[in-house]
Amino acid sequence: MITPSTVAAPVPWEGQPYSIKRHGTTLTNCDVEPVQTPGCVQAHGALLVLRLADLAILQVSENVERWLGRSTQDLLGQSAVAALGERGAARLREILAGGSTENCPLYVFTLDARGETPALDVVVHTTGGVVVVEIEATGRGDAGLQSDYYTLVKQAVGRLHSARTLRDFCQIVSGEVRELTGLDRVMVYRFHEDGHGEVVAESRLDHLAPWLGLHYPAEDIPRPAREIFKQLWIRPVPEVGAELAELVPLVSPDSGKPLSMTHCALRGPSIMYTEYLQNMGVKACLTMPIRQGGELWGLIACHHYSGPTSFSYQVRAACELFAQVVSLHHRAIADREQMSYRLRAEGVHQQLVAGSAQEAGLAALTEGTPTLLDALDVGGAAIYHRRRWWRVGKTPSDAQLAALGEWLHHGREREASSRPYYATDLLSRDYPPAEAFADVASGLLAVPLALSYRSFVLWFRPETLQTVTWGGNPHEKPTVPGPHGPRLTPRKSFELFVESVRLRSLPWTQVEIDAATRLRQLLIELVIDQGERLEDLNTDLLRSNEDLDSFAHVASHDLKEPLRGIHKYAHQLLDDATLVNEEQRRKLEGLMRLTVRMDSLLDSLLHFARVGRADLDRTPEDLGEVLEEAAEMVEVRRAERRTSLVLPRPLPRAPCDRVQVREVLVNLLANAMKYNESPQPRVEVGYLAPGEAGDRGPAPLETEGHAVFYVRDNGIGIHPRHQDQVFKMFRRLHGQSAYGGGTGAGLAIVKKLIERHDGRVWIDSTLGQGTTVFFTLEGDTP
Amino acid sequence: MSTQARHPPVLVLEDSDEDFDTTLVAARAAGITNPIRRVTSGDACLDVLRGDESARLRPALVLLDLNTPGMDGRDTLVAIRADPSLRSLPVVVLSTSADPRDVKYCYLQGANAYHVKPVRYVDHLEVLREVFDYWLTRVAPSAR
Repeated sequence: MITPSTVAAPVPWEGQPYSIKRHGTTLTNCDVEPVQTPGCVQAHGALLVLRLADLAILQVSENVERWLGRSTQDLLGQSAVAALGERGAARLREILAGGSTENCPLYVFTLDARGETPALDVVVHTTGGVVVVEIEATGRGDAGLQSDYYTLVKQAVGRLHSARTLRDFCQIVSGEVRELTGLDRVMVYRFHEDGHGEVVAESRLDHLAPWLGLHYPAEDIPRPAREIFKQLWIRPVPEVGAELAELVPLVSPDSGKPLSMTHCALRGPSIMYTEYLQNMGVKACLTMPIRQGGELWGLIACHHYSGPTSFSYQVRAACELFAQVVSLHHRAIADREQMSYRLRAEGVHQQLVAGSAQEAGLAALTEGTPTLLDALDVGGAAIYHRRRWWRVGKTPSDAQLAALGEWLHHGREREASSRPYYATDLLSRDYPPAEAFADVASGLLAVPLALSYRSFVLWFRPETLQTVTWGGNPHEKPTVPGPHGPRLTPRKSFELFVESVRLRSLPWTQVEIDAATRLRQLLIELVIDQGERLEDLNTDLLRSNEDLDSFAHVASHDLKEPLRGIHKYAHQLLDDATLVNEEQRRKLEGLMRLTVRMDSLLDSLLHFARVGRADLDRTPEDLGEVLEEAAEMVEVRRAERRTSLVLPRPLPRAPCDRVQVREVLVNLLANAMKYNESPQPRVEVGYLAPGEAGDRGPAPLETEGHAVFYVRDNGIGIHPRHQDQVFKMFRRLHGQSAYGGGTGAGLAIVKKLIERHDGRVWIDSTLGQGTTVFFTLEGDTP
Repeated sequence: MSTQARHPPVLVLEDSDEDFDTTLVAARAAGITNPIRRVTSGDACLDVLRGDESARLRPALVLLDLNTPGMDGRDTLVAIRADPSLRSLPVVVLSTSADPRDVKYCYLQGANAYHVKPVRYVDHLEVLREVFDYWLTRVAPSAR
């Protein structure tokens, strides 16, 4: 009942036949206790072992005289007739001739009450060449009851059909078993994958405290006890803590081996077991297995507190039958429940993927209805894709997620090729920092959306302790512990359980792992699909760029031709001075001015359309020379405004398209001079090498590590409100004729030219003091 | 018809009435006495240049607008340069388009000059006047 020792320490019964009465067990060796050959029977009945060949009595329990009125010495070596009488022995021979008694106890007959001795039920089975005769003072041999139990079992089985879920099913089972047995408390106890147990259903007397939802450590039911439940269907202990009666002799005189008592109803229980039950105040106990395949799924455990009781052969037979039906049904219900979980997960995942294909991408998995939380039973989920997190439900914090993501990315990469998921119910074992967020993510299921864990979907499960329903403390009532101390109490069990499930979540089932990997597949298909769509989009864009270009070209021609006509007629009308008065003249001049303006807007539009398309001819250029050329092109304006052009130091060489960068500089110089009302206009052109200290204004992060160029003026500045407008096409901040007019295309063209170089352009400006335009001529991927 | 012998005509491909009118005004201003013959499509232009012996026109200068209906100015230019009998004709392109691609294309196809038609009437007149002046009075005529 504590962690099994792996070191084979010598046991006290080493080299001798085992007897509970002589050797017992301790906390350290209960895991190797020979529970199938305990050497003792429960003293509420007697046991005889007969040789199958001649029905000679080989062994008897030491209490046989109390029930049969004959001493062990009288019986040993005699024929069965000596114990059962002529009629009984004859009936026994009949039954054995039937041939279906091997490991299958059958009721044979009832010995009538004689004087002080009550009526005795005789139950027989054969095992390994001997006949085991169990005699119990249950005294209910009359046939009338048998049909009652048949009816009861039939009704109970009928009610099992109404269960829709496993939980319902277990609840019905506990109720029906209590009905069949009349015991105070019936629990359905389920073993989790890690071996620990949980009470999943319960039927009890009203005044008893509920134990539903309680968990117990794996050690509470030692391995030998679990093994034996794979072989038998019922385990009765009608008088917990009652006397035991040893077999005489302890081993068979024929074989020298102890009797295998696996199928004996009278088999003596382990001291550890009975002490545990006594510590809980249990007076009688009945246990049946729920098996799934060859495995023990759980137990139906019945506790009786009111006092010792007896379980007649009929009750035991009814319970055995019911337990077998329960196991069969259980399988069907569990399969159905698993299937519906599988279908639910698959359905929700399909819906989510469809949603993210149509709508806002992966955000559809965590926002709206349904979300990832509706597919699997988890506490939270998160997606990481393109350096972005989406979260839903209870998850670790952003910083914790980021660190976890890093760990997954670096630690799981190799595994991903062989197994496209990572599942753990004890994340802190692999990743110790997880201890900090065990309350939300003790368990982690992760699937990568690519071979490397650069994109992934994560599901989180809280620590099991957080999910345990601890409905009041049922064990507060103090009990006086037995000789092995408080360990054999539920209170201590719970503490052990807490220790074993600390930082641990409920495990991930195959259904969940399958659903997660299936979702992964769907998402990867989606991503590939989107990649293809992106490619199509690029093709479309290329085509539409060409379309736009030819449109701009044709449109400008077709728009400009009528403009020229309008201008001409206005001009001709104006020439005919006799026809127009002063007001009409003003209007005609306005008409002509508008046509000229329209014309220059069209020119700008055309130019802008062409800028994005022109090939980038990037060669190392002396930017000093390029600036000189640009300065020449704005020389007229510079001279006009008496602007001083300042270079703190010569510009470096840089790989760029000479013509395009010249246009950038022309535009920036022109603007710097144009929007300047200073009595001493000044324009400074300079640069900052990568890492060099200096004012870079609000530089975008991605420009770090690149040379930054700037054109700084002491002009009128730009109001903060307008600073994000200046790079937009045709966005003018001033009246059409103010500051020498213009179409508002200059900075838009500058931005486009810079971006053709993978560079960035930004401004820093103070109204009334001046503007600095910064730019880079390369990006992160040269 | 005697004037035609002394002054070979100028052939103008122009579909815009306004622009053709401006062309006439500019010719007058330049003092050009050559007859001016207008066609409004590339096909008509080639028909005139390649017609029967009697009707065939041997112009002193061809002015091409690029964007005309049907066969446009570009195709007309290509066809003229592909025809051995027409290859030596001076061809000047006058277009609304300032697209460098158009300019380059026309020079590659053998245009003798490329002018952008300005939107301002007076500028437009000035461009045309200079073209007439240059091609009809300054340069030597193409050999027949």
